[in-house]
Amino acid sequence: MELANTSSPEGGPGAGVLAHLERLEAESRKKFEEPQGAESALGNKIRNLRSLRDKLRAEVNRRQAGVTSHKASVEPDQTFEVSEQEVLERKRENVKSILQAYRFTGLSGKLTSRGVCVSISTAFEGNLLDSYFVDLVIQKPLRIHHHSIPVFIPLEEIAAKYLQSNIQHFLFSLCEYLNAYSGRKYQADRLQSDFAAFLAGPLQRNSLCNLLSFTYKAEPSGQSFPFCARLLYKDITRTLPTDVTVTYQGTDALSTSWEEQRASHENLFCTKPLHQVFASFARREEKLDMNLLY
Amino acid sequence: MDEIVAEFIKRTILKIPMAEMMTILKAWDFLSESQLQTINFRKRKESLVHDLVMLCEEKHANVNDAALLDIIYTQFHRHQKVWDVFQMTKEPGEDIDLFDMKQFKSSFKRILQRALKNVSVTFRDAEENAVWIRIAWGTQCKKPNQYKPTYVVYYSQTPYAFISSSRLRSSIPLLGQALTVASKHHRIVKMDFRSRYLDSLKAIVFKQYNQTFETHNATTPLQERNLGLDINMDSRIIHENIIEKDRVQRVTQEIFGDYPQPRLEFAQYKLETKFKSDLNRGILAERKEPLRCLVKFSSPNLLEALKSLAPAGIADAPLSPLLTCIPQKRMNYFKIKDK
Repeated sequence: MELANTSSPEGGPGAGVLAHLERLEAESRKKFEEPQGAESALGNKIRNLRSLRDKLRAEVNRRQAGVTSHKASVEPDQTFEVSEQEVLERKRENVKSILQAYRFTGLSGKLTSRGVCVSISTAFEGNLLDSYFVDLVIQKPLRIHHHSIPVFIPLEEIAAKYLQSNIQHFLFSLCEYLNAYSGRKYQADRLQSDFAAFLAGPLQRNSLCNLLSFTYKAEPSGQSFPFCARLLYKDITRTLPTDVTVTYQGTDALSTSWEEQRASHENLFCTKPLHQVFASFARREEKLDMNLLY
Repeated sequence: MDEIVAEFIKRTILKIPMAEMMTILKAWDFLSESQLQTINFRKRKESLVHDLVMLCEEKHANVNDAALLDIIYTQFHRHQKVWDVFQMTKEPGEDIDLFDMKQFKSSFKRILQRALKNVSVTFRDAEENAVWIRIAWGTQCKKPNQYKPTYVVYYSQTPYAFISSSRLRSSIPLLGQALTVASKHHRIVKMDFRSRYLDSLKAIVFKQYNQTFETHNATTPLQERNLGLDINMDSRIIHENIIEKDRVQRVTQEIFGDYPQPRLEFAQYKLETKFKSDLNRGILAERKEPLRCLVKFSSPNLLEALKSLAPAGIADAPLSPLLTCIPQKRMNYFKIKDK
């Protein structure tokens, strides 16, 4: 039904309302037609995407089938591949063992995410002793991240002198100090454990093992006098003492033979490692015992 | 046996828990095996203590023996005291230290006894070439008070000494002097580092707390970086949050390492800084003088607690360097002023 036109004066607001409604109807009709267009556009898009997806799926399936068929054709050669793998594994184990064995050189290292971790393995007279570690951060300036160096080793001094200017010298110097400390400690430990029978009292020592003081008898079973020995290691990069004093604990003067012995002991302690001196005492004891037997 | 000594031994033995009684008495090595065998350890504690004191009487225990027992008790219960760390320095270019324990002990004792008429000093050697020193302080007229001793733990040829906190402030300078001279150092300074856990203080000061090293010979592979977090994360936490969680883990691991943190129980910050406010309003913001306040963090294990803050989401990573610098700086008492 055709609605009256909008410009009717006597309608007043009524005519305006009718015209307004007419306009609204026309608008809604337009809107109804539009989505259909948009809908169809979206529908097309969906159809395109779907067909693309199907194509891609088909491609994936095709390629996968190709790979499995390739694998199937390769099957007979499996034995050959495995042995190659074995060879590589063996090579890898070999290299790992060599890297592990490097510690026997005394100075080795392993790269870390931030630098290198240096291992210092100390030894004395062919005996492998404690290992110490220094974890270095490779930056400017080079710095020590953390370490296991004992607090009484002058690490800060050595680092102040050499770490920035000559890393090699730093490591070698540290090796020197640590090996000497390990060696002195080894000698003191050997004396306390293996030759306790010769000691007439506890072995007095300190952290660096650079001052040893003890009372001993060269012949524990015999009638020898107890001597007091005081060993000073003023050079802590060495394993032999710098000063040795052997004294006699008594009021009477020593007979010449004992005096000779005292002097020779002083010389022995200066020139031979501590435990070896006592080992020679032990051998002399044995010899004496043997002489008594026959 | 002196009445004072008898009372002292009685009170010391009474402190020992029954579970440790045999161990401590054996470590004391004053009463012989045969004597100890005559004691019935199933008695009530008071009567057991009475019997033990009788045995000590028989053996004429003196004040030194009693002091030794006290040292051993304290070594077993070192966390009952609060320990301060002191640092000694030498003049540069000094000769290598030929530390003689006997000389150190006699020098230390002599210096104290020369200055104070009434002081009793007892030594007990410990492992790692260390010595525990017990000092009971008296005055010109009074005998040493055995119930308020000061303990010193000194590792030979190191520049650090651990001293139990005591109320007797006046004794500290003399003690410092005795330590410095006897150990051939020149100066002694108290560090801002204090805790009940003597072993943690030692580990931090001697830098022994991080002892895992990467080597080719490692028998155990480097452990999975697991900070003990709950990994049952909601499956809805996707990519973005995982990236952030990984970053927090990585930063925390870089700062705190893979090792168990040494145990400290508090950190204290004395602030003397101007109050800073975002709002730029309020009375406090207008103060010209610095605001004085004290912030104290306490925990059964402070460093572990700090380590878990960022992974737990309570704090941002990285944490403030004021918190994370504690082991490196060997400090847990801080004074913060405006620059």
